[in-house]
Amino acid sequence: MSAFASTGFGRSAITILVAAAVLLLLPLVASSFVLHVATIGFYYVILAASWNLLAGYTGQFSLAHHAFAAVGAYTSGLLGYHWGISFWIGIPAGVLLSAAMGFVLGRLVLKMRAIYLAIATWAFAETVHVYLTADYQFTRGELGLSVKPLFGSVDPLKYYFLFLGLTVVLLIGMRALIDSPLGYFMRAIKDDELRAKSLGIDTTKVKVAIFSLSSAIAGLAGGFYAHYTVLLSPQMIDFSEMAKIVIMVVIGGFGTFLGPIIGAAPVQVVMTYLQSWGEWNLAVFALIVIVLMRFSMEGIAAVFTPLWRRMWRDG
Amino acid sequence: MAVALEAIALNKRFNNLQASNNVSLAVEQGEIRGVIGPNGAGKTTLVNLVTGVYKADSGDVKLAGESIVRCDMHEIARRGLVRSFQVTRLFGSLTVAENLRTAFLARRPTDGGDGGAQIDSMLDLTKLRPLANTQAKKLSGGQRALLQMGCGFMVPGSCYVLDEPFSGINPVIKDSIIEMILDVNRRHNATFLIVSHEMTIIRRLCPKVTVMMEGKVAAHGSLDEVARLPEVIAGYLGKALE
Ligand SMILES: Nc1ncnc2c1ncn2[C@@H]1O[C@H](COP(=O)(O)OP(=O)(O)OP(=O)(O)O)[C@@H](O)[C@H]1O
Ligand SMILES: [Mg+2]
Repeated sequence: MSAFASTGFGRSAITILVAAAVLLLLPLVASSFVLHVATIGFYYVILAASWNLLAGYTGQFSLAHHAFAAVGAYTSGLLGYHWGISFWIGIPAGVLLSAAMGFVLGRLVLKMRAIYLAIATWAFAETVHVYLTADYQFTRGELGLSVKPLFGSVDPLKYYFLFLGLTVVLLIGMRALIDSPLGYFMRAIKDDELRAKSLGIDTTKVKVAIFSLSSAIAGLAGGFYAHYTVLLSPQMIDFSEMAKIVIMVVIGGFGTFLGPIIGAAPVQVVMTYLQSWGEWNLAVFALIVIVLMRFSMEGIAAVFTPLWRRMWRDG
Repeated sequence: MAVALEAIALNKRFNNLQASNNVSLAVEQGEIRGVIGPNGAGKTTLVNLVTGVYKADSGDVKLAGESIVRCDMHEIARRGLVRSFQVTRLFGSLTVAENLRTAFLARRPTDGGDGGAQIDSMLDLTKLRPLANTQAKKLSGGQRALLQMGCGFMVPGSCYVLDEPFSGINPVIKDSIIEMILDVNRRHNATFLIVSHEMTIIRRLCPKVTVMMEGKVAAHGSLDEVARLPEVIAGYLGKALE
């Protein structure tokens, strides 16, 4: 145990598990509404953390992440709606389709510089958006696609535990990835791609793999989300959804492991309670993001770093 | 003697400038070859052509007899050709130790482990241990150059192409870099192509040098031989070497 707790991975895994154990007790004290907000919060933690792998760690500032969540959601939703196919097949199919589309998009934008990559991925997301709206005979468009709930009802309790479990497993997996050789290569590519190549790193392979992987994770989260919200609409690909993910990561700490975890919850909670402000609350957050990106990319995580060191008693 | 690195009639043009004009040279296995020449002579261009950063307009590059001119940069590195950059390149947001680890993992031998032992000994060799957890962007120029060299030596290469490894570095660090070069050369019979303006170091390390001027190879030979050539004196040295 102590050897395990001396590695970065071990410490993160222990912390995640302890936090999860505490969160397991939340339903004892929390109302259904709070559990619902928390469940959606977990969904955003997964999206934010997987986008952070792509943008924060590898330097590919994609604006299509929400579209991959929608691909996962709609795949399972449409398979069920039209052909009565169960989520056991629908969700994995959505993951595979997201991964494949992420792979193709990742290849297309490979050589693009940051701003062009952002524009191209945004255009991809808009295309998916337009398709889902326009082909309404198949997708039901703005009418909404109804999806069967995973557990028969939409009482949040079971979904809360499901999303908590999913988040824990995915976060531990992502932590392992970041600490693996691939994780070093990702950060190296973000810092200086030419240098990474000159050391012998196959940067094309790494970038496309991470694009595909992060899209697959978004598709997985989207798939489960579909079977909880039970009514899908193209609003899933509104740009404000992507903006939310970016805001969560930047406020939490761009390119830090902790960032999306601690950024998603407060942003989601505040946004839920400020819903009456409509789009204005997004504008306020956008302003905060611009200020944060100007001064420090480490967000709230910067405050936690010294605490983290002290907690494990290193210098 | 086997030829380790060979450039054959390399040409590279930038707009109106022939930066590399029919450049050929052959470096033997285990040789430490110097490349000298005035600013803008095309030395860095040659380095970039050989390591795959630039694609040659024509000509060929062979590493241990195999053509690498069409290989990607990372494939060339995986074949054991290691380079350093004249303007030091490091992963600025990674720490010193993480830079070394990344260099190790990028060309990790199959039974390589995680590189912990190699990082330890490189931190000792470069005396960068007190800075092991410092981000590379916070280092001084000399420390950065030293770390870049250290990264190159994390996994022994078969052939090193070093672009101005000594410029702007204090004499103590210069000596450490020279020691590292000689050590890898002796232990692994590694080949070196070293671009430098530092005649004292070139004289000490390189039995043979290649002089470049205006994109062309102007001469090959020992430093003392080429330093006597009138065109080299006129075009580069200005006056005969002491
Ligand atoms: N990417 C490029 N685009 C346009 N011109 C270039 C490029 N790279 C090099 N050159 C030009 O090619 C010529 C040779 O440059 P190079 O960097 O190879 O010289 P060098 O011998 O390394 O000089 P120095 O001693 O100053 O490092 C210069 O005139 C330079 O301006
Ligand atoms: Mg140069």
